[in-house]
Amino acid sequence: MARTRPHTARNRAAVGFLLPFCVLFLTTFVAPICYAVHQSLFRVERKGALGLGGETEVFAGLSNYTHALEDSQFLAGFGRVLLFGVVQVPVMILLATVLALLLEAASARGVVFFRTAFFLPYGVPGVIASILWGFLYVPGISPIVEMLDGAGLDVDFLSDGTLLWSIANIVTWEFTGYNMLILISQLKAVPDELYEAARIDGANAWQVAVRIKLPLIRPALVLTTVFSIIGTLQLFSEPLVLKPLTGNIDTGYTPNVHAYNEAFGANNYHVAAAEAVLLAVVACVLSFGFMRLVGRRGKVGDE
Amino acid sequence: MNPVGTSRRSLLAASAATAATGLAVAGCGSGDDATVARRKPGQSIRMTFWAWVPGIDKAVDLWNRKNPEVQVDLEKVSPHNSAQYAKMHSALKAGNPPDLAQVEYMNIPEFLLERGLVELGEYGAGAQKDKFVGWQWEQVVYDGGVYAVPQASGPMAMFHRADLYEKWGVEPPATWDEYEATARTIRKEGAYIESFPATMGPWFAGLAWQAGAEWFRTEGDTWKIAIDSEPTRRVADFWEGLVRGKLVKTVPVMQSPWYSAIQSGEVVSWLSASWGDALITGNAAKTKGKWRVAPLPQWKRGAGASANWGGSTTALFRGARYPQDAMDFAVWLNTDPESVDLLIAGGYGWPAAKKGFEGSRLDRPSDFFDGQKYNDVFAASDKAVDTSWKWGPTTVAMINHITDALNDAINSKGSFTDAMRKVQQQVISDMRDKGLKVEAA
Repeated sequence: MARTRPHTARNRAAVGFLLPFCVLFLTTFVAPICYAVHQSLFRVERKGALGLGGETEVFAGLSNYTHALEDSQFLAGFGRVLLFGVVQVPVMILLATVLALLLEAASARGVVFFRTAFFLPYGVPGVIASILWGFLYVPGISPIVEMLDGAGLDVDFLSDGTLLWSIANIVTWEFTGYNMLILISQLKAVPDELYEAARIDGANAWQVAVRIKLPLIRPALVLTTVFSIIGTLQLFSEPLVLKPLTGNIDTGYTPNVHAYNEAFGANNYHVAAAEAVLLAVVACVLSFGFMRLVGRRGKVGDE
Repeated sequence: MNPVGTSRRSLLAASAATAATGLAVAGCGSGDDATVARRKPGQSIRMTFWAWVPGIDKAVDLWNRKNPEVQVDLEKVSPHNSAQYAKMHSALKAGNPPDLAQVEYMNIPEFLLERGLVELGEYGAGAQKDKFVGWQWEQVVYDGGVYAVPQASGPMAMFHRADLYEKWGVEPPATWDEYEATARTIRKEGAYIESFPATMGPWFAGLAWQAGAEWFRTEGDTWKIAIDSEPTRRVADFWEGLVRGKLVKTVPVMQSPWYSAIQSGEVVSWLSASWGDALITGNAAKTKGKWRVAPLPQWKRGAGASANWGGSTTALFRGARYPQDAMDFAVWLNTDPESVDLLIAGGYGWPAAKKGFEGSRLDRPSDFFDGQKYNDVFAASDKAVDTSWKWGPTTVAMINHITDALNDAINSKGSFTDAMRKVQQQVISDMRDKGLKVEAA
């Protein structure tokens, strides 16, 4: 019996430590998901033209899901973010990796300054970043547009064709430094002995980077890529903030914007819930699909 | 009222609104109607009021000074991207809406659908009818009930650079045919008559309204939708022709590129509402004395048909704790001469109160508008607005559909008529989603 006492005490301590997390996890994560799934299975029926005769919620089966999947604007939004992700995520991760390797190279100078400078945009909230860039894109205000105009280049950053890449630029500016920092922290965990051994074997800086550093930060690369894929699917504040500046951002520019407008513009909470669930499913499929692809499933852990 | 202010400000406000919406969404639960109490004599109460129209803070301050027992707490909400309605609908859903809120005419039915508004007939609203402009009053009456107190409207007319019109030998067009001819002449001079505001759904609705469209009506329990109708098609074809012929610009109005275009004289007129004056005077100060206002061009010469863009009411939300006091405040706010003066000074729009215009600061010649008593044009416009127009119950979504469809048509070179047909299909589908009976008229 004496043997179990420390066990119970330890268990109690463990429960005590886990409880706050579990409570928050259940109430702010699991419960809303369950609520959204529940909402997505119902619809409203109203009496009278103005609904003044009252309303009833009835079970709708999967009709909200078929409704969402038949909405060409919603699907176009998916197409747009996928195109965005295919281009922007590799560019950003590559950029972050190059910066991380440069800053961690033995010959790097001014490391602290550059690390802070590159990371700083992440400290700027996405909405503010979009406003800042918005000013740099709008003709009439933007010094960049004016300069290009002076050089004889007629560039419209907010046109139908360029807009997505203007947004990609904002996102890259915001998150490259953040991803770089994750990669740097993993680089710092590489034991010095490996570098010493490599040097003794006659490896140059390039070989050290490609043969030792990159393979060893692979888990961090996978992690940052997965985060970026999820972030891409959740693209929201940038298009919403830029919307007043151009007619080219429609109600379904990204799936998230579409769900938002469905919920708070059209007050179709049930359809919006279905769209949110679909979005989450796609995010899961892509994230886990990517992890399976790189054969590192489970290393990164659940989202 | 429609967005007022520079683009810099609107960007900031949009972001603030996004943040605010986030907060509103966080609330949850489904509290039912709070207990409706009557204020006892001598009892002090507080009410909350959400609004955004400029000048309203001063009017509320005046009320609070005069009525120590009935204090109104004003909370400003942002009107950008319809964020204020997202906030209001979330609050209603969460069961903690304000007692009173500013709701535009076009958004009343969608709040009715959520059973969000208090019917005011019970509190003697019927007796107030004669204090208000007829068509504005009709905009708050649904199914025999009064659901808000009219505040202001946006009768439309044509702001134009009279100096340049004169220089180029053109008159403000009296008909839409003349408008097109004028647009050609102005284009030859290197300027544009207008920027087609594809981002402004209510503007387009206003011009369809002028052409005689009636997008929404009800027959018994069934909605009849006539967005895809002859008058709308006429308006759509007309603007498509101007856009395709490159006779108009297509930059979003009330944004910085447009402001710089009206400052420089690249865009020389604006079909807009009465509240547009503040935007021109505020953003193109150097063009002082060069602008004048002319009536809207007509489909039939001399018909005097008018249009409206924007306009608000003060409504009581479900659960308003002291409905009688709240309605008394709403009536005072929108009819008391001192209050209306403060609101006019702020630029709240065209008074819904019958006595609001005469003798007010609107009723004076203006140096900015070349000494013209330009508000006489708007006064006539407001009198001529067709009273039979009704809005549907999915306005925020419909406005989004219109801007999406028109922008898409401009980019893909599709037809504007097809765009409006698509809008009609989307509106019908939206209304079905709401559990309503609806068909094409």
